[in-house]
Amino acid sequence: MKQVQGTWLRGYITIQVIGYHPELFFDLCTRHEIDVWQIKKVDQTTCVGNIFIKDIIKTKQIRKQTRYKLRFVRKTGLPFAWKKVNKRKPLLIGFIVSLFFITLLSNMVWKIEVAGVRPEIEKQIRTTLSENGVYPGMLKFSIDSPSNLQKKILDNIPELLWVGVTEKGTTYSLEGVEKTSVSEQESRGPSNIVAAKDGVIVDMYVAKGKPMASVNDYVKKGDILVAGDLSNTDSEDDDEEKTHNKIAVEAEIYANTWYESTITVPLQANYKVLTGNVNRKYYLNLADLNLPIWGFFQETYKEEQVEVEQKSIHFFQWELPISFVKKSIFESEQITEKRSRKNAREVGIKQAKTQLQQTLGHEAEITNEKILHEASENGKVKLDLYFTVKENIVKIQDLSQGD
Amino acid sequence: MKKWQLQVGNWLTNHLKLPSDVLLELPRITTIGQFHAYIENHRGLILFTDTELQLKLTKGSLKIVGDHFVIKTLLPEEILVEGTIKEILFLESE
Repeated sequence: MKQVQGTWLRGYITIQVIGYHPELFFDLCTRHEIDVWQIKKVDQTTCVGNIFIKDIIKTKQIRKQTRYKLRFVRKTGLPFAWKKVNKRKPLLIGFIVSLFFITLLSNMVWKIEVAGVRPEIEKQIRTTLSENGVYPGMLKFSIDSPSNLQKKILDNIPELLWVGVTEKGTTYSLEGVEKTSVSEQESRGPSNIVAAKDGVIVDMYVAKGKPMASVNDYVKKGDILVAGDLSNTDSEDDDEEKTHNKIAVEAEIYANTWYESTITVPLQANYKVLTGNVNRKYYLNLADLNLPIWGFFQETYKEEQVEVEQKSIHFFQWELPISFVKKSIFESEQITEKRSRKNAREVGIKQAKTQLQQTLGHEAEITNEKILHEASENGKVKLDLYFTVKENIVKIQDLSQGD
Repeated sequence: MKKWQLQVGNWLTNHLKLPSDVLLELPRITTIGQFHAYIENHRGLILFTDTELQLKLTKGSLKIVGDHFVIKTLLPEEILVEGTIKEILFLESE
């Protein structure tokens, strides 16, 4: 069955034929290879039917040979709709421009909300944000991801303990938590100070309490260094006085302590570094298709590391299937470093030192290091190291525990 | 001559199972319920009104009677009619 297809796209006209046996005019048309459809008889002498735009001239020529009267009743289809729109060009342009603007404005930062912090810190957060390109009126494509922003804000403002950045459409809302320095409890109960580690005492500063050890003493872990009980141990006083004599001690005691650690250092090291050269390419992404819009004719690197950032475009609150893709191609270099044994030893010691410092905290001071044993096998140097550290060994022991 | 052609055609349809409408130039009418009639191999329109449709055939004519007729498509040898079909009549030519 042959069917008349694409009628609306091609455009068609409803014609009215007036005359004696009007249906025969349509029959005549088909014999001249004109497609006709939807033929209806209105009354004895009138008939309506549809023909394509392209057949109008042909139909008119056929009509000239007959005695029928022809009238165009209605025009339908895309060509006519297009003509109508074309007549109102400003309207069409306005429509396209408004769509463009709505998309543009939907992808802008309109508002930044900061909650949960003092005004000074809020000001600081706002300045950090604007330094990183987050301020009202900025396009969202050029802005870092919320987690990156979070990191940057935390790095810049040490007073902040935590900050949460959420992107809600055109609004960035931040919630911060400030660090509150908790003042040490003033009224501690009576206590002793005991050694936290084995060591030789180097310095002692006792503010409150009775010192039980002196400089250059070797103390073991758990030994009492400063006593909170001030009463004479020989005299037998009543309980009330005893508790009265017990105080909370305060002291700083530094001692030399010792640590051993084992570390292996390879004699050959491979690592990748970025040279600092970078190519940036921008794409508009639609489903799987990447349409390049910026960054043509750039040199290609021998070795590269690629970072892709994808930001979807919004229209009001809806996410469009189109997204903006930023591709950064970093030139990288493979570096192979060969270490001499001496060099490896130095690297090993340095590494062990930083490791130890990390576990002890920065108050501790590594005063001396020694290599106990050194062996090299399979292209690696194995070091047994011995460190002397000067650190605070104070540990407060509560006396009221026993009550 | 014509008679001989008809006989050959009849023989072909009977023994080779070829469709008779093609060989004998007969109309093929397909109806879907009461509301669709699809006629192939007609030879032109004679009459069309709201209630009646007459088509020329190679031999004689075809008359369809019903209500609310609309010609959906009209092609040189095919026609699709929509409406309420009541009767389909073959009229012998005199």
